[in-house]
Amino acid sequence: MEPILEIESLKKYYGKSKNLTKALDGITFQVMPGEFLGIMGSSGSGKTTLLNCIATVVWPDAGSIAMNGKQIQKLAGAALADYRGKEIGYLFQNFELLDNLTGYENIMLPLSLHGVPEQEGRQRLEQLAAYLEIIDVLHKFPAQMSGGQKQRIAAARSLILRPGVILADEPTGALDSKNAKTLMEKLLGLNQEEQATILMVTHDCNAASYCRRILFIQDGVIFHELRRNIPDESGQEFYARILQVMAQLGGGSANVL
Amino acid sequence: MFFKLVFRNSKRNRKENGLFFGALLVSVIAFYIVLSLSRQDVMIFLARMESDAVDRLMDIIPVFYGLTLFLLFFLIYYASRFQLERRRHEFGVYLMFGMRRVKLFAMLLAEDFRNSMISLAIGLPAAVLLSELISLITARLVGIGIVGHQVSFSPQAAIWTAAGFLLIKFVAFLILSGRISRQTIGALMAWPPAGVKRQMPPFVYAVAAVAGILSLAAAYVMIVFGDAWYDIMRMGITLLLGTAGTWTLFFGMRFLIGLAVRSGKHDRRLHVFHFRQIQETVIQRSGTLAVCSLLMLSALTCFGAGVAISRFYGESEPHVLDYTFDGSLNGDTPAQIRQKLAAHQLETEFLELFEMRVGYIRTAKDFDHAFAMEPLMTALRQRKPSRERDVLLNNLSYAMYPHIISLSGYNRLLAAAELPALALGEEEAAIYMDREFTDAKRLELLNDILKTSPKASLDGAEITLTGSVQTTKLVTDRSITLSFALILADEMFEYYTQGDYDVYLDGILAERESENGGLMAAISEMNQKLNEAGVPYESYLQNMGRQLFYMVASSYITMYLAIIFLMIANTVIGVQFLMNQQQTSRRYRTLIRLGASHDVLCGSSRRQINWYFGLPIVVAVCSSIFGVHALLTGILSSRSRGSLPEMMIVSFAMILAMCVVEYFYIAAVKRASDRYLLTLMVPEREE
Repeated sequence: MEPILEIESLKKYYGKSKNLTKALDGITFQVMPGEFLGIMGSSGSGKTTLLNCIATVVWPDAGSIAMNGKQIQKLAGAALADYRGKEIGYLFQNFELLDNLTGYENIMLPLSLHGVPEQEGRQRLEQLAAYLEIIDVLHKFPAQMSGGQKQRIAAARSLILRPGVILADEPTGALDSKNAKTLMEKLLGLNQEEQATILMVTHDCNAASYCRRILFIQDGVIFHELRRNIPDESGQEFYARILQVMAQLGGGSANVL
Repeated sequence: MFFKLVFRNSKRNRKENGLFFGALLVSVIAFYIVLSLSRQDVMIFLARMESDAVDRLMDIIPVFYGLTLFLLFFLIYYASRFQLERRRHEFGVYLMFGMRRVKLFAMLLAEDFRNSMISLAIGLPAAVLLSELISLITARLVGIGIVGHQVSFSPQAAIWTAAGFLLIKFVAFLILSGRISRQTIGALMAWPPAGVKRQMPPFVYAVAAVAGILSLAAAYVMIVFGDAWYDIMRMGITLLLGTAGTWTLFFGMRFLIGLAVRSGKHDRRLHVFHFRQIQETVIQRSGTLAVCSLLMLSALTCFGAGVAISRFYGESEPHVLDYTFDGSLNGDTPAQIRQKLAAHQLETEFLELFEMRVGYIRTAKDFDHAFAMEPLMTALRQRKPSRERDVLLNNLSYAMYPHIISLSGYNRLLAAAELPALALGEEEAAIYMDREFTDAKRLELLNDILKTSPKASLDGAEITLTGSVQTTKLVTDRSITLSFALILADEMFEYYTQGDYDVYLDGILAERESENGGLMAAISEMNQKLNEAGVPYESYLQNMGRQLFYMVASSYITMYLAIIFLMIANTVIGVQFLMNQQQTSRRYRTLIRLGASHDVLCGSSRRQINWYFGLPIVVAVCSSIFGVHALLTGILSSRSRGSLPEMMIVSFAMILAMCVVEYFYIAAVKRASDRYLLTLMVPEREE
């Protein structure tokens, strides 16, 4: 099977000379179709920069990113907008719903942005709304929704155009544990039933335990990798292993098992 | 450090809010121009001719100054409030780090003062330059030539401009900083949530929208049927209906926009987003939009009606005569006047001096039947019914005892006007009508009938009416007008007047260009000489002065008010939109994350701007058509109401011209918005 996403020696530096910060310092990894990959690391480790590079929100200084074999750095204009809208779906920590649009209108926003007729997305919306249990709030404004409902609306928005990869940036960061659990179960369900490829940045070990593979980043480099043994390893056991790595992250690579 | 902060903050304020800074500059210019009006060439010239009227106009200048201060205070207060609200968080941070409120106040005051001084430093020279330019252009346009151009800089006006400007800035600042200083640090640092406002059920807005439209329609109907000017009560009702209608229409507009969100082409890019943005702003600021729309309406109406009125007054007749000497004033005969002129070596300064003889049909005993032109009237009655025909039929029915003019004098006048001479045979007459009593359409109608050489009866004798209607003014005095007269060959004139007639000595200057300037200077110099010689005269200058006064007074005042109103409305809408865009920048950032390109964002924002400006403009333009109609019918004398359709056309053209000005303003706001959106395309580091 060909990887859906290939990251090769990715570098992104901020600042100059003395103030140079190496947000990403030569990261290489691949994401396979239908994979649920987690990226973990402490604050400032480069997780979000990595996600932003893949989302083309920032341009890397060196290295390459290939989506389905296409180098995304070479994209421009309409092709770049199409890539952002149709090949990736972005799930934000703070939901980033437009507060003056209803849930329905927020979900349909990517269609409107990329010139896709509304009719084409309606069936998909109904299917997602039923699965994510947000039918009741479709015609409410974000101010009238709970945090969990907002994030599920945001999830439906990121999935409406059936993107190749869903980039989730700390999706449970602004949710309580109950809503976080519901959201992760729904994302896992989408990953398993629809083979949705998910790349999730998080420092929530609970959320990370839903992933099949986790890359740990520190100071801009991949520092460790964990794979869940399916079906032998339970979520609880995987969670324990994640906790262990996280505990040792502060001590450098020598402490990792 | 303190001054560095003041310097940087004031610079940032100017850069971030260029539109507001522009409005400050225009305020300075507006103050100066109104205050330096008395130094304008046209006014200096008018003061010599029509000193009473000019004095009265100058007396109301302080009222205009006060009104301008009052209006611009609101503009400055409103725009400054936006600017300070945007910096609440920053103020909270200053206080959090231990800055004392007094120091924060001093810092804001210093920033404000610095920007005010910069506005004055740029605005005042610009105002002086503009005032000079207006002075020169109006002088040229109204044909004063250069009476002797004087530099219009007025130090007194400059001082009052600076004082007024600084005063309103300071008062606005005091009120606003007072509001800010009363708030806790926590309240300052919390971002006010965007788009939160209690909403009422949709039917309330639907009812408001319908009520607004009905009120406006009722006001329009009252204007069209003339009820608005019937009495004070009805005028008040019309104004109330119009104002309340605009207000409720904007209040209910969210319902109409809601309909637009639901209907329309949903597949258009960001259709729902941009309508929701507009809806939100309309919900939050329906009152402001209504006020802006009313201000625009005032601007359009003032400008439309003002230009039409000034054009009406300014429609000058061909200039032929420079002087008329009326001997009857002191019992001099034309020969005696000539002698007096010659005695002072003034006769040679005239290229032409000829006698214009005007009298009555002295042979007639029955004044009610001295003249009749039944064939012409019959021909007129048979013409296609029209307003022109009816007016002519009415006016000519009074032509029973007309003035008569001698042909030789009139032909001298025609020669001076470089027009072909009139040839009249025995028993022939030409019709003379002053331009004030006719217009092109009426002349055309009458000339058409005159081609058939209709017969008429003059004191019982049959004569033939021939040629075309003559309109060249007989004397310089504009107030001497003849609504209907007959031009007769000299022998007939002598017979019918029985030698009893008035003689006016008309003069044309040999050198119309003085060494000191144009025609006006030449006439001014000659006036002085004639005054010294003690010859009574009526000159072109005095008549020009009267005409000019109406023109200048109406156009200056209305255009000045129009510019002030329009600037306030535009600045408030523009600043409000851009500030709102900055407040909701997070939404735009989300759209960028979702794949919106700069072009798509700009497209959406430009559409929002079109709508945001368009809504108040469309309401204002619709109302202004009726507003102009009301103003023209109310202000114009019954005589000039005949020109109402033409004046309405001029007004429409002016309203369209103002729409073009709006277009440029909208384009400027769009450019500012595009620039801001470009800054959002650069991602923020969130880690």
